[in-house]
Amino acid sequence: MNYQPSDYLPIIVQIGAALAFIVLTMVATHWLGPKRHSKAKDDVFECGIESVGNARTPISVKYFLVAILFVLFDVEIIFMYPWAVNFKTLGWDGFLEMIVFMSLLLAGFIYVLKKGVLDWEK
Amino acid sequence: MQFWYFLTALTLISALMVVLSKNPIHSVLYLVFTFFCISGHYVLLNAQFLMAVNIIVYAGAIMVLFLFVIMMLDLRRNSPDSKTNLTKLAGAVVGGTVLVIFIAATRKINLGTGADNAFYNSQTGMVENLGQILYRNYLLPFELVSILFFVAMVGAVMLGKREAGERNF
Amino acid sequence: MNAIIALSLFGITNLFLGFLNNRKILLPATLLFVLIAFGLNLADWNHEYYWFHNMLKTNNLSINFTSIILVATALVVAISRGFGNDEEHTHPAEYYGILLFSVVGAIMMVTFQSLFMLFVGIEILSVAMYVLTGSDKRNLRSNEAALKYFLMGSFATGIMLFGIALVYGATGSFDINGIGNMVNQAKLQDIMLNPYGPILYGGIILIFVGLLFKISAAPFHFWTPDVYDGAPSIFTAFMSTVVKTAGVAATYRLLSISFPAVYGLWGNPLVYITCLTLFIGNITAVYQQSFKRMLAYSSISHAGYLLITVLAKTPTTNSSILFYSLAYSIATISAFAVLMVVSEAQSKSGKPDESFTALNGLATNNPFLAFVLTVSMLSLAGIPLTAGFFGKFFIFADAFSNVSSLFKTIAVVAILMSTVGIYYYFKPIIAAYLKKGDLEKIELSPIYKLTLIITTALTILLGIAPDLVKNIF
Repeated sequence: MNYQPSDYLPIIVQIGAALAFIVLTMVATHWLGPKRHSKAKDDVFECGIESVGNARTPISVKYFLVAILFVLFDVEIIFMYPWAVNFKTLGWDGFLEMIVFMSLLLAGFIYVLKKGVLDWEK
Repeated sequence: MQFWYFLTALTLISALMVVLSKNPIHSVLYLVFTFFCISGHYVLLNAQFLMAVNIIVYAGAIMVLFLFVIMMLDLRRNSPDSKTNLTKLAGAVVGGTVLVIFIAATRKINLGTGADNAFYNSQTGMVENLGQILYRNYLLPFELVSILFFVAMVGAVMLGKREAGERNF
Repeated sequence: MNAIIALSLFGITNLFLGFLNNRKILLPATLLFVLIAFGLNLADWNHEYYWFHNMLKTNNLSINFTSIILVATALVVAISRGFGNDEEHTHPAEYYGILLFSVVGAIMMVTFQSLFMLFVGIEILSVAMYVLTGSDKRNLRSNEAALKYFLMGSFATGIMLFGIALVYGATGSFDINGIGNMVNQAKLQDIMLNPYGPILYGGIILIFVGLLFKISAAPFHFWTPDVYDGAPSIFTAFMSTVVKTAGVAATYRLLSISFPAVYGLWGNPLVYITCLTLFIGNITAVYQQSFKRMLAYSSISHAGYLLITVLAKTPTTNSSILFYSLAYSIATISAFAVLMVVSEAQSKSGKPDESFTALNGLATNNPFLAFVLTVSMLSLAGIPLTAGFFGKFFIFADAFSNVSSLFKTIAVVAILMSTVGIYYYFKPIIAAYLKKGDLEKIELSPIYKLTLIITTALTILLGIAPDLVKNIF
């Protein structure tokens, strides 16, 4: 196989088409639709109840913890892709290398589980 | 070549906007855009795997982390500018000097007339070749990166986990 | 090399030992792990090996550095006292685990052959240090220190990584010998005419800046006092010994193998950096009221002494750096060990008191601790009959043996600055012996006492017979 950057031309065309559609529809709706403002209409909608407080309250650090663990394992998965493409050429050596890498990270995953980080209520 | 200039200009403008925009959310969005532009550069360099990884990890996962950090902090309270004018001036002088030096260094490079056809292989950046190198020559750093992951994981758990008796939301 | 693999696995083992709910076994287990790694490290003695496609290279120099790092780690672990009995707020398994992981990074920094490994090693060490700096979660100063260290440290790593990328672009190699050959060739045909010369210069400077940040040489030292002061004392002891030794070793390895041909490029700035480091470290230390902060500035100044011999490039540079690192590490660890117990005994409203006044009257009820403190301070100041004296002596001898008259100037600056050092290193001794205080007798655990005896005895022994280890190095 011989890949070249020009192979991405269809993708650029696709991105252009998608962006053009979004811009077009947004401009069109703003232009076509009527604009009527009133106090009740411009209010923040919260199930019909009057909104209280600020939407920008600090969130719990637990979300962040889950997100950071996600990123770590995400990067781990990325490493599997070039390995899988070369699975046959790398042979048993490559297989063992990956087993070592995966078992190290699996140990990390077990650690995280046992620590109870993923239990939301704990 | 024209496309390269266009993409580079776009990258530089969006990177500058990351620094210049006042709203941190806008900064993050410009940063996402910068990452997409850099992915475009990877495509032009024929490094398609890096392009995909850059979008998945940086534009996808790490930017979400950035947004979380911004949401955890209450950034609407304007903190008074803690830096004195002297610090700003010193920073500008140092940064400007480094910029000038690197522009001068880059101008001095003589790249010749392009790639040497005898050694040039357009497929170097493909995922097959990358995997061959990564899992043969760079095996040790690859395995030891998992130790880096471990440290990051344990550190995040240790610092972020709620302690008994503490309450965070 | 085997020490790296073993320590990685031991670190993970340590994390899982934490689930046993038995805090007592962690300290002996970690100590045992470090000792096993020490044995594995010595197994390669007198052999030169390239590991895993030239990623690492072990030779006697790297084994010596690794040994010093492991000895310092073992001593730090021995004075950690299991990180207290506070069940809820300390995580000893995690602390020990991360400590072992960071030693993996440190060993990678002293044995690297590929710049890739240097980067991964620095990153493992740094990330571990950011976490440990902030491990005292309820202490605002610790949080501040961790954040400062993290932001500045990651910028420094980024700058260094950019430098590595530029050097790779200019030379086409990550291998330090390969880069050295390319730099030699470029040098032969006038580097500025070489198509990639300017970029190579830029890259070398950026790598250099990143490494100097890690060993906290002035003017890249601004993070050091705050971070060393804010971090829990035990991790400060680790940082100022293991991290500094690894950083100096990495700088020395890179500069002496890859870039000797462009000595003028990094040597000239390094002259000023060394003098500035010595000056700032010693002069600022004089004005400190806190013992811990004084030790932070003193660690900056010791980076300056170590840089002199990196700069001097004499045949004895290897052994001088090794001896100085060892002498400095053991003295610093015993100083921190005394500081930790005394500051906890003197704690005011739950916060340990780390000022000089906390040491007042230490000698009346705790003559042993006062003696340990005195020996370590004398060694850091470089008074004869301690290891520190010979450390400084070898370094000054290196500087004077270099033909360039520049080194005479540097050596004179360094000697002047070490006399300034004597002034502030005597402050704690004076506080301990001459000031009045009401310190009760402090009970020490056997292992703590044994560690202090070992460090003190080693300091005196190396001060009387430096050839014992100097001949090995």
